[in-house]
Amino acid sequence: MNKPLILLMLLMLATMELMAQTRVVTGQVLGTDDKQPIPGVNVIIQGTNRGAATDFNGKYTIAVETGDNTLVFTFVGYKTQTVTIADREVVNVNLEPEATALDEVVVVGYGIQKKSDITGATASLKGDVLLQQPVLTATQAMQGKVAGVQIISSGQPGSSPQIRVRGVSTALGGTTVLYVVDGILTDDISNINTADIVDMNVLKDASASAIYGSRGANGVIIITTKKGASGGLKINYNNNIGIRQAANLVEMANSAEYSNYVQAATGAAPPTSAYNTDWYDVILRTAVQQSHNLSFSGGTDKVTYLFNVGYLNDQGIVINNDFERLTLRFNNEFKISDKLSFGIQSSYGNSINQNGFGNINIDAFGNIGAVYNNAYRAAPIIPSIVDGKYGNTSAYQNVGNPLLDVNNNSIEVKENRLQGSGFLDYNPFPWLKFRSAIGADWRNSLNRGYYYQFDADEETFIVAGGNQYRTQSGLTVQQSQAFRWVWDNTFTITKSFGDHNLVFLGGTTAERFDLHYFSASRRDVPADPNLWYIGVGDANTSQNDGGGDAWARNSYLARLNYNLREKYMVTATLRMDGSSRLPEKNRWQQYPSFGVAWIMSREGFMQNQNLFDLLKIRASYGKVGNDQIPTNAFTQTVSLNRPYAFNGSATPATNGAQINQIIDPNITWETTEEYNAAIEFEILQSRLTGEINFYDKKVKNALINVPIPRTVGDIDGVILTNVASIQNRGLEVVLNWNQRVNNNFSYTISGNATFNNNQVVDLNGGQAIPGGGIGAAQGFTTYTDNGQPVGSFYVLRVIGVFNTVDEVQQYQNQQGNLIQPNAKPGDFKYFDKNNDGKIDDADRVFAGSYQPVAYYGLNGTANYKRWDFSLAIYGNVGNEVYNGKKAVRVEGKDNVERDVVYNRWTSANRSQKEPGANVGNLPASDYFVESGSFIRINNITVGYTFPSASLQRYSITNFRIFVTSQNPFTLKQYSGFTPELPGDPISSGIELSAYPTTRTIAAGLSIGF
Amino acid sequence: MVFNVMKMIKEFDLKKATRKMLLIAGAVWLFIACNDDFLNVPIQGGVTTKTDPALAQKLVTGVYNSLYQADSWGNGDVHGFAFISVTSIISDDADKGSSPTDQAVPVGDIDNFTLTPTNKFCESLWSGHYNSIGAANQALKALEVAAVSEDLKNQLIGEVRFLRGYLYFNLVRMYGGVPLVLRVPNDATDANTDPAFQTRASADDVYQNIIQDLQFAVDNLALKGVNPPGNATKGAAQSLLAKVYMYKASLAGNDLADWQKVFDLTDAVITSGKYSLADDYATIWRQVGENNSESIFEIQTGSFNNANLNPDLYTVCQGVRQGGVGGWDDLGWGFNTPSVNLLNAYEPNDVRKAGTVIFIDNSGARNGTILWDGFRVPSSDSVQNLYYNYKAYTSRTREQFANSADKNRPKNIRILRYADVLLMHAESAIHLGQGDPDGKINLIRDRADLPPKSGVTIADVWNERRVELAMEHDRFWDLVRQGRAAQVMIAAGKTNFVAGTHELLPIPASQILLSNGKLTQNPGY
Repeated sequence: MNKPLILLMLLMLATMELMAQTRVVTGQVLGTDDKQPIPGVNVIIQGTNRGAATDFNGKYTIAVETGDNTLVFTFVGYKTQTVTIADREVVNVNLEPEATALDEVVVVGYGIQKKSDITGATASLKGDVLLQQPVLTATQAMQGKVAGVQIISSGQPGSSPQIRVRGVSTALGGTTVLYVVDGILTDDISNINTADIVDMNVLKDASASAIYGSRGANGVIIITTKKGASGGLKINYNNNIGIRQAANLVEMANSAEYSNYVQAATGAAPPTSAYNTDWYDVILRTAVQQSHNLSFSGGTDKVTYLFNVGYLNDQGIVINNDFERLTLRFNNEFKISDKLSFGIQSSYGNSINQNGFGNINIDAFGNIGAVYNNAYRAAPIIPSIVDGKYGNTSAYQNVGNPLLDVNNNSIEVKENRLQGSGFLDYNPFPWLKFRSAIGADWRNSLNRGYYYQFDADEETFIVAGGNQYRTQSGLTVQQSQAFRWVWDNTFTITKSFGDHNLVFLGGTTAERFDLHYFSASRRDVPADPNLWYIGVGDANTSQNDGGGDAWARNSYLARLNYNLREKYMVTATLRMDGSSRLPEKNRWQQYPSFGVAWIMSREGFMQNQNLFDLLKIRASYGKVGNDQIPTNAFTQTVSLNRPYAFNGSATPATNGAQINQIIDPNITWETTEEYNAAIEFEILQSRLTGEINFYDKKVKNALINVPIPRTVGDIDGVILTNVASIQNRGLEVVLNWNQRVNNNFSYTISGNATFNNNQVVDLNGGQAIPGGGIGAAQGFTTYTDNGQPVGSFYVLRVIGVFNTVDEVQQYQNQQGNLIQPNAKPGDFKYFDKNNDGKIDDADRVFAGSYQPVAYYGLNGTANYKRWDFSLAIYGNVGNEVYNGKKAVRVEGKDNVERDVVYNRWTSANRSQKEPGANVGNLPASDYFVESGSFIRINNITVGYTFPSASLQRYSITNFRIFVTSQNPFTLKQYSGFTPELPGDPISSGIELSAYPTTRTIAAGLSIGF
Repeated sequence: MVFNVMKMIKEFDLKKATRKMLLIAGAVWLFIACNDDFLNVPIQGGVTTKTDPALAQKLVTGVYNSLYQADSWGNGDVHGFAFISVTSIISDDADKGSSPTDQAVPVGDIDNFTLTPTNKFCESLWSGHYNSIGAANQALKALEVAAVSEDLKNQLIGEVRFLRGYLYFNLVRMYGGVPLVLRVPNDATDANTDPAFQTRASADDVYQNIIQDLQFAVDNLALKGVNPPGNATKGAAQSLLAKVYMYKASLAGNDLADWQKVFDLTDAVITSGKYSLADDYATIWRQVGENNSESIFEIQTGSFNNANLNPDLYTVCQGVRQGGVGGWDDLGWGFNTPSVNLLNAYEPNDVRKAGTVIFIDNSGARNGTILWDGFRVPSSDSVQNLYYNYKAYTSRTREQFANSADKNRPKNIRILRYADVLLMHAESAIHLGQGDPDGKINLIRDRADLPPKSGVTIADVWNERRVELAMEHDRFWDLVRQGRAAQVMIAAGKTNFVAGTHELLPIPASQILLSNGKLTQNPGY
């Protein structure tokens, strides 16, 4: 044999021997949650320091020697697994994720907490979920996504929706939720760009919001804006462009139908006309809306920054209405040392709203606000505009031409808002942190209303005459400036002793608000927009006015979080609030709260069951307050500028004053006490999660503007006083299902439903409160009384329609009095509740409430390969709506709805639900009360994300395009424009001139570099 | 620069830094926490009774200002559309006007006596008068402690009590007995517990109170000419008190003691020599006739802050209204149109007819009507109604206003004038068998270009009252006190009138509700 061969044989022998002692084991590690391979898992042979790591495909190879029995697989975020090798060559392992949803961090008042430690009722929404929807504010995007939170929106550009958390818990107009943006308290987030939001946390129950004391009664929404992250510069651009249209318009009668009805109602046919005007068509248009956002962010270990620019433009669906907003945001954080860090968040917003509906104080003649109402009333036989000349509606009926109103009034509201906050965190010791945060909000708005001059002659109109004209042009300018600052100083102590973990927070906060406003008007200003300045007008027609407001608050707060072994949690908070808005003797109030929680699934006896991945039970009690009352509510003030012309027209009048308000000098805080009990659970490998909350919330000393007898001498007949208790009891159910079917397809379905029962109890003085007065022959339409929801409808009951004169004669009470002696065939027959032989206010009955029995949302998402799909549904059940526009028909010549024309009572069609043709002025009855239940598809979105590999050569890190539709479909029973009618608590749910709901289709993209 | 700062901070001595931070934090807290004044924020722009020493006088002006209230569909009406409806449209002197269905509820209901307690105008009249009474009570309260001379104080108190008397006189004529509110409630509880605010006093009690208020005014007010004409005068108080006694006397079946008071008071006004009949009847209600020799008390209107100052809509709601084709701009809404019944009440050649009624040209000749200032009103094919109230006409071209372009032009409302005093004197003279009723009546007839009468009877005086004070808010209440309301209304075609019910308006249902049923309704409603 030659030497190489022997060497080779020896080597082979050696190798064979080695091989007999060491073998290779391979396998793949997958995650149990998504069944995906996990790279970077440490595979260690137990008892040794030999190991390997899984590769990109989750596969590993490890050399195993005899005597090695066990492999240990570890990876951050997953539970460690120990597996016996035995004789296997392939050992595949599935690792279970360690983190459940409970370890998510939630922002609570003045700090953050793990979701598992929270004892109160909270809900979270991520910013990118909100961003999908082409709406103005993040609260609008929240609709249907959070149990217990009812969002009532108005379609108007530039308007914020009304929010009710767990039912109506106050009876006063000031019901806004408290917003906390980056720790700074504010009441209005219309200037916050949704693209800047990382997440929104809603504190629903009193124990969660008690830390905000007097502000917490209406619920608290905490918003965190984006911060930069360390790493290189990241650029992100996203946009959203779409078109909007009015949805669910009411069909009005056309000329032929109108003539038929007016003939029947008044006996006289209206003049024949070649025109057939659809007035809604005239004033509405398809509007374009678009929004663009560009952000730059980045940082190092010490400094992070974020800069966002956003632009939004929403043409309204009513012509000449336009809303534009520009926002800039600059967030910066500096880590100066291990112990000291500070940060700044600043944002600037500029918005211009042209001819919006809500600008009552600048819209001096109310023309823009009346446009929508006028379109309802204007007769179809008058043309809107022909060859540049307007149809003269006021020459025929008492209504202005809505198109002319829109064109001859220019109302512009410009707002600048600068919001900033800065914080300083100091950690002298690991267990102690001080934080001082100061926030400021400066708001300046300039409103300008110009009213064009025009005559009711043949230059303007086809037919001259009527009373729609303006002899002299007018200009009104208003300027207001508001400044608000908030300063928090808190310290937090975090300590653990064995199994006991404690976090204690203490601190104080102070707040101040100042407002100045000034307005001036003059007449005879030319129509050129470049000349719209007060100085250009006739000084002889000069008028001016101005005023201001100021208030302050001061508070002390403390909170203790304790948990034992992360299984038993206790939270206690105490807040003391003082407010300048209350008389000195009632100025300070304490708000305590207490909550406990038990994570049952972490108990020993629960380890053997397979049903619950998580089971948590919690209960809480809290007391919060509401001080949102006008600053002059308890002080008697004198009403100025009450002149009298002692010399007739010979000389200017002498000035005078009046004391014409009765005030309650003893008003005090509204306080809300709330009990909450809940179960949170996760089952089926956390694929099904859910939460059930029971709550019982009682508002004491609710502040209401109570009508008082006129003999008392109060000029508006109401006094603000603490007058009742209001109770809300309910149940919230949330269920979420998420399922990863395979690598390519996964989906989630989540639903939430809230059942709420609202009732007034303990009405002080026993006197129920009428409200919802809408004029004409209606009187009041709501009544707030013990045992009924706030603002329930209280109207006459219609029991049929008189078919013949005989029926009128036969409708008598026991004494033989004709109950409705003046009725004619075709008139409504009303129920005589008290049998007194006449129909009057004493015969009114309760007819439901605008507050829903339940409201719910259903949201689904699906991901298939690179496609994503989401659907959001929202609905209300059991609420009633009052059709006010139909009710205030008082003129025989006003237009009618098409349904009314065809379904009306006639001697041939003896409807028992619709009256015969009439000229209006009907009393308030349940004919006008309609079901407000609705179900709406809020949003459908389909998106596609481009594969990252193909984008890398352009330095693009992600690129997604999507198509979305907002409010594509609504199913409702209500015959009017919209069943969503925000309003003040004792007169809500009444449609008078509501802006219609809109339907939007938009497309957009999101691209990151 | 940022990096330098960071370096500097790093170099701090840590312990020192800790102590310093703790000190600063503590100081900050102490500052915020101990500053009690921080929460004492005065109301911005809120004038309180303590900040103005001249408040009492301003409050008196404020009471006069409250007479302007004309929010007929809302918070209160004293001399607005609602006032016109229940004094004029309701009577046989005037028809509703405007188009047939315009304001059928509430005005048509008032006109036809089909009104119910939910009538909006009834409610706003109640509210408006009590708002004014409240303003009066506040003024009286402030005057008690005001730092002014005794004479001025009595004058001012006299003026306020005159106005309060006038307001209660209106209330008792409209509703009968009403709550007698003579003071300011201390607070809401006081208002809820004191029965005076929520129970109706009897009509007699109300009259007693009016008489007390007006008697004080008679005793303390200055004569005409001493103060600007808008201020109440002794003569105004005497005339109003005479009228009150006249109503009281008639309603009690002609109580002669009260008629004597009427006679004496009117005599005092006549002999004061401060008043005389104006020469031209037609000018009385024009701007040139403001505060003329005949004027005793007027609701003054004018200008303030570059704007018209007047009861809202008083003139507009009565202005000539365009109704048919033609394209002519109207002067107003066309309500309160003189009735044919009124036209027939004038004797031939009575100049007062032409001074009271605008006749629309219905001849077919299309000449139109030329008004006193040259304005041409088109003929009946362009205009809604055939007759309009000339006394409510304001001239855009020949009268002065702060804002002439606005149709809502001011016009003084003549509440009391010398002719009324003469008529009251004559009527009381006939009842008592004293004085010279013929002479007084003939002064009036002479001015009207009518032949004198002798041996005038009560019926003559009543007819003269009707045509002299036509469309001046007197007719309906006068008929009620004469006892003839039912008879005259039914004869005029208003057959829904029920004697014993429709002499009064219903108490507003909303107020009965708010009083928890303590207010009782008038019979028949």
